[in-house]
Amino acid sequence: MAVPHTSMHPVTSASRRSRRLLPQLSRWASPAQRRVALPVVGMISGLLVAGIGLFHHAARDLTQVPPGYVALVNQQGVLMSDFISQTATETEEPFTQTTAAQRAHVLHEMIDKELLVQRALALDLPETTEEVRTTMADAVDAQAAAPTQAVQPTEAQLRAYYNAHRDRYSSQGTMTVLNLVLHVGGYQNADQTVAQAQADAVEAVYQLRSGAAVSYVMEHFGLVDASPQYDSQQLDFAAKLHLGAQLYQVATMLGSGEVSDPIVQNDGVHVLVMQQRQPAAVEDFPNARAQVYNDYRIALTDQAARQNLKFLRSQAQILLAPGQSE
Amino acid sequence: MARGAGSRWRLLAGLALPLLLAAALAGWALQARWHRDALARALLRTYPQDIDANPALVRFADEEAKPLFARNCAVCHGAQMQGNPLIGAPALVGGHWLWGNGSVFQIERILLYGIRSGQPQALNVTEMPAFGLMGRLTAGQVHELVQYLMKLNHRPYDAETANAGQTLFYSQLYGCYDCHGTDARGEADYGAPNLTANYWNNGGSEQDIYDSIFYGRHRVMPAWQGRLSLEQIRALAVYLHGLSHGSAQGSVQGSAERG
Repeated sequence: MAVPHTSMHPVTSASRRSRRLLPQLSRWASPAQRRVALPVVGMISGLLVAGIGLFHHAARDLTQVPPGYVALVNQQGVLMSDFISQTATETEEPFTQTTAAQRAHVLHEMIDKELLVQRALALDLPETTEEVRTTMADAVDAQAAAPTQAVQPTEAQLRAYYNAHRDRYSSQGTMTVLNLVLHVGGYQNADQTVAQAQADAVEAVYQLRSGAAVSYVMEHFGLVDASPQYDSQQLDFAAKLHLGAQLYQVATMLGSGEVSDPIVQNDGVHVLVMQQRQPAAVEDFPNARAQVYNDYRIALTDQAARQNLKFLRSQAQILLAPGQSE
Repeated sequence: MARGAGSRWRLLAGLALPLLLAAALAGWALQARWHRDALARALLRTYPQDIDANPALVRFADEEAKPLFARNCAVCHGAQMQGNPLIGAPALVGGHWLWGNGSVFQIERILLYGIRSGQPQALNVTEMPAFGLMGRLTAGQVHELVQYLMKLNHRPYDAETANAGQTLFYSQLYGCYDCHGTDARGEADYGAPNLTANYWNNGGSEQDIYDSIFYGRHRVMPAWQGRLSLEQIRALAVYLHGLSHGSAQGSVQGSAERG
């Protein structure tokens, strides 16, 4: 029997099929048969649901130790593999040769440690303790960098790195320098002006360059030795710290035995006497290659760590308080 | 009425039969599932060194591991487990183990934590230094060492050059023997290979060996903990152990074909 078409909407093929099926069902099954069929359909559906439930992975039962673990400490497992490894390490014997008492002792210690770690997490040590944070951050960096070390650099890559960072491969220069100061209005002449002090310094420089003894010139012109107490050779970076940028710049231009021109600074007029000078020298590639190799690999590690952080930042939501910047 | 009752019973029988069949199938599948789960639990609960003594567990592990190997390991180690010298991935058949002696426990540790993977528990105490790149050996000295290794492996060599290489090998300055052993048979605790077995992870040609010494090697095996389940890792360890000791079920070829 055809179902009269009453809808004004277009009839789809699916709706046409269902309309053909309903009369067929009513012909196939009597009302009594349909009364049986419905519970059966329900049973099949129930079986299907039960089957899916049975074969679906159930949540882990944490009231007993899962396979592969030797203990469960507050739901946190102690791996069998770690236990075997730890037992062998502590007893210095193969695991198979360890006694039950030794194994029990090691397991006791591992459970203690797990409890302490859990307590540390409860105390929020990763957020509050700098040492823990540093260790965690270093561990993440190490994991990010591990793949970068797998490929050895080529000779060309090392040379390119050396050429790009040549300044890193300089040997440190050394100097032994006297820093003499003529304080303006010093103890010898309270009315001295800067111009007068400068003129005295010029004369002192002249005498020093002419070979006069440093001690004589110091005494005659009232110069004070402002060098560090120990009169020894200093690496360039140390000399820079002691002299300050301006005097250090002048000092690096002096050779052994040379005397600088007077240099006016806030505390007086300085004269530098370079007693011994060994300038910095750039190491050539063959001599520096071991260091270049190490530096290159460290640079790869740093690059991996930066890329990892870039990724983490791209995934993170970072909010800064008003007025803050990073 | 009789005809109506008869058709009702026929309908019931017609429905009950497929239902019984479905129930039987479900029961069979359930039983298989329970059996598999029981084996999986037993595989993980048994100490690694004791698994070999249980053939049912070994069979189960092999069956579980074959498709896992094809999906996760074959890309580096090769479908035939022949290794890949280009990336230093070792062959997993033949019983040559760089780290440890190939016990189930040691293979499992490597799978769990990797080699130089960046994991704190990974095997990472050593690497093959880049003796040439770092300027510790000249190209000529590396060549001398290569000739000495040729001699150790009963391959054609130049006697004079090999003697010079032998001197270098035992020199305190370079200390090859320190890792590879005074008999050059390697040290499994450091992952230092046996240099007398003519078996080379990174290729065995003279040029390959020269490159290993000149440029060094720093191969990485990733850690699989977290990517594979404990059960899968244990199954792979048992499978690989069996293959290298000749007890795994089925040939390597078979495993590759299945994968």
